[in-house]
Amino acid sequence: MTAPSATPLLAIRGLRAAYGKIEALKGVDIEINAGEIVALIGANGAGKSTLMMTIFGKPRARSGQIEFDGHDITAVPTHQIARLRIAQSPEGRRIFPRMSVAENLQMGADATESSEADRAAGLERVLTLFPRLRERMTQRGGTLSGGEQQMLAIGRALMSRPRLLMLDEPSLGLAPLIARQIFDAIRTLNRQDGLTVLIVEQNANHALKLAHRGYVMVNGLITLSGTGSELLQRPEIRAAYLEGGRRG
Amino acid sequence: MNAPPAVSIQASHALGAAFIFKKALISALVALVLFSLMIGVRTEAGPTGQLIYWTRFGDLAAMVATVFGGSIVVELLRQWWGPVGTIRVVPTNVKSALALARRGIAPVLLIFTFLVPVIFYDQRYILDLGILVLTYVMLGWGLNVVVGLAGLLDLGYVAFYAVGAYSYALLATNFGLSFWICLPLAGILAALWGVMLGFPVLRLRGDYLAIVTLAFGEIIRLVIINWQSLTGGPNGVSGIPRPTMFGIPLTPGDDGLAAKLGIEFSPTHRIVFLFYLILALALLTNWVTIRLRRLPIGRAWEALREDEVACRALGINTTTTKLTAFATGAMFGGFAGAFFATRQGFISPESFTFQESALVLAIVVLGGMGSQLGVALAALAMIGGFELFRGLEQYRMLVFGIAMVLLMIWRPRGLIGHRAPTVFLERSQAISSDLVKEGHG
Repeated sequence: MTAPSATPLLAIRGLRAAYGKIEALKGVDIEINAGEIVALIGANGAGKSTLMMTIFGKPRARSGQIEFDGHDITAVPTHQIARLRIAQSPEGRRIFPRMSVAENLQMGADATESSEADRAAGLERVLTLFPRLRERMTQRGGTLSGGEQQMLAIGRALMSRPRLLMLDEPSLGLAPLIARQIFDAIRTLNRQDGLTVLIVEQNANHALKLAHRGYVMVNGLITLSGTGSELLQRPEIRAAYLEGGRRG
Repeated sequence: MNAPPAVSIQASHALGAAFIFKKALISALVALVLFSLMIGVRTEAGPTGQLIYWTRFGDLAAMVATVFGGSIVVELLRQWWGPVGTIRVVPTNVKSALALARRGIAPVLLIFTFLVPVIFYDQRYILDLGILVLTYVMLGWGLNVVVGLAGLLDLGYVAFYAVGAYSYALLATNFGLSFWICLPLAGILAALWGVMLGFPVLRLRGDYLAIVTLAFGEIIRLVIINWQSLTGGPNGVSGIPRPTMFGIPLTPGDDGLAAKLGIEFSPTHRIVFLFYLILALALLTNWVTIRLRRLPIGRAWEALREDEVACRALGINTTTTKLTAFATGAMFGGFAGAFFATRQGFISPESFTFQESALVLAIVVLGGMGSQLGVALAALAMIGGFELFRGLEQYRMLVFGIAMVLLMIWRPRGLIGHRAPTVFLERSQAISSDLVKEGHG
């Protein structure tokens, strides 16, 4: 396991964001250390996706601070955040359906102005991680299965050789077996490449088992945090996210 | 070995016959009800104001029979040629011949276009028509950047055509600047207006964008009509200088091209020159578009068409991406406009109505959005078709409409709906056709 460094890679303090009058984030504090997998779990509408999008500057933070690698990025324009090598695989995959798999992957590398060698290395890494994509390089993105599309979405995010990878619901709508493959790939990336990962999930069981640490979000606030296994043991977590609200 | 599929095909054919017959019968019935009053009975006010009427059952029967027969033909064609997803019974050798034809069509078309002035040297009409078609090919390719690649529905493209035309006309008549200086200026000015349109519509998509661009096209036209002191208003600008061959005029005088080359002067020289000029401009548009598609900016346009949110997540600056698409498309519109002005020698606001925008958009959509060859074929079919059916007079639009409907039934994604990928990693493989077949994405 990678030893977490002293200063966090991403530090979020008192973050507030709103859609018009509706406040989605009401003062969120989160820290992610380099080399960690951090899971953010919570019910629908808790503000998990909003948090991820606010890190990317859409919507803008009303107050609070987002610090990446010691630099304040709260006011950095959206398109420049990706250049700091923060990559995002958005909710619902959002691959480019009419473009080929190769072009989709290329898109991930375009904005970051990486060198030809970096690009080739990044591509090779993605294709070793998801060998299925290699077979599908010339196929249009829209013709892939759901699981392959998710692989493509993650692969596309990886093409910018990120320091922080943010995944929004990577298991959404996937068969359990495929979801497991995706989670395995994330674990591999973390262990072998030392990649820092923030994963937003409804599938709390999977996500907490995968993560070193986790945060629980309720109504725009972080209510609980701890290591993955700690959180998995908490009775309120079990009741709310793991046992379908059954009293246990 | 082939027996089982043959049986199933026959079964589906038998089913099809009853279905087609039923469908045709229903169509004929609807036609009977509709036309019995519209065609079957003719009424008119008599000389003393009383109502006189007579019946035209013969015409009515002919109409209903046409609908019945036509419905069967359409349905048969649909099943045979089939929309996406129908199984086509085409022999393999025909298929491979078609594939060969498809690959060869672009170079053959290009060579033929180059030879048109040679073959039809004596037929001024064909040459003029060729120039017209090429102008629309260029406009189609220009709009293709905005609509086909970036996916921004622009109904006001004619505005940039007008900006280009008026830029050249006014610069040339007021300041005596030559065509070759004005051409880039016209493109730059049009691109500037493209950016001006781009800014307010940055956050709009689809229908809303279409409405604003439609209004933009009208605004430009109305400004041209009403700003009489500059543009001459509805009277237009006349006496626009003809283009020179890099400074050598194509005139019968001593300093003309013919005299310099020592050949006899003929007015056809100018037409041929104009033909090659627009051909060069159109090919420039095509070349730039193809090059851009392979660069990050071109890929960003296409990605923007597919999914704007994903683009933002990947760090693409959507603002500059949209503005460059508008500017690039507008620039080519401006070039075409300048050419139009120099060819006509006279321009007026009447040449820049919404109908032009609609026509160019139709060319792009019919051709298959994003396909360069498709747009060229569509321009040839539309503009050439207009001329071909000139003899039909008022039925021209009817034929045109029917052709459009049929095309959209058979090829909902345009003549050439297939999109060639631009990124080849490793070695490009032969793609089997079922892998690239259009889905419902």
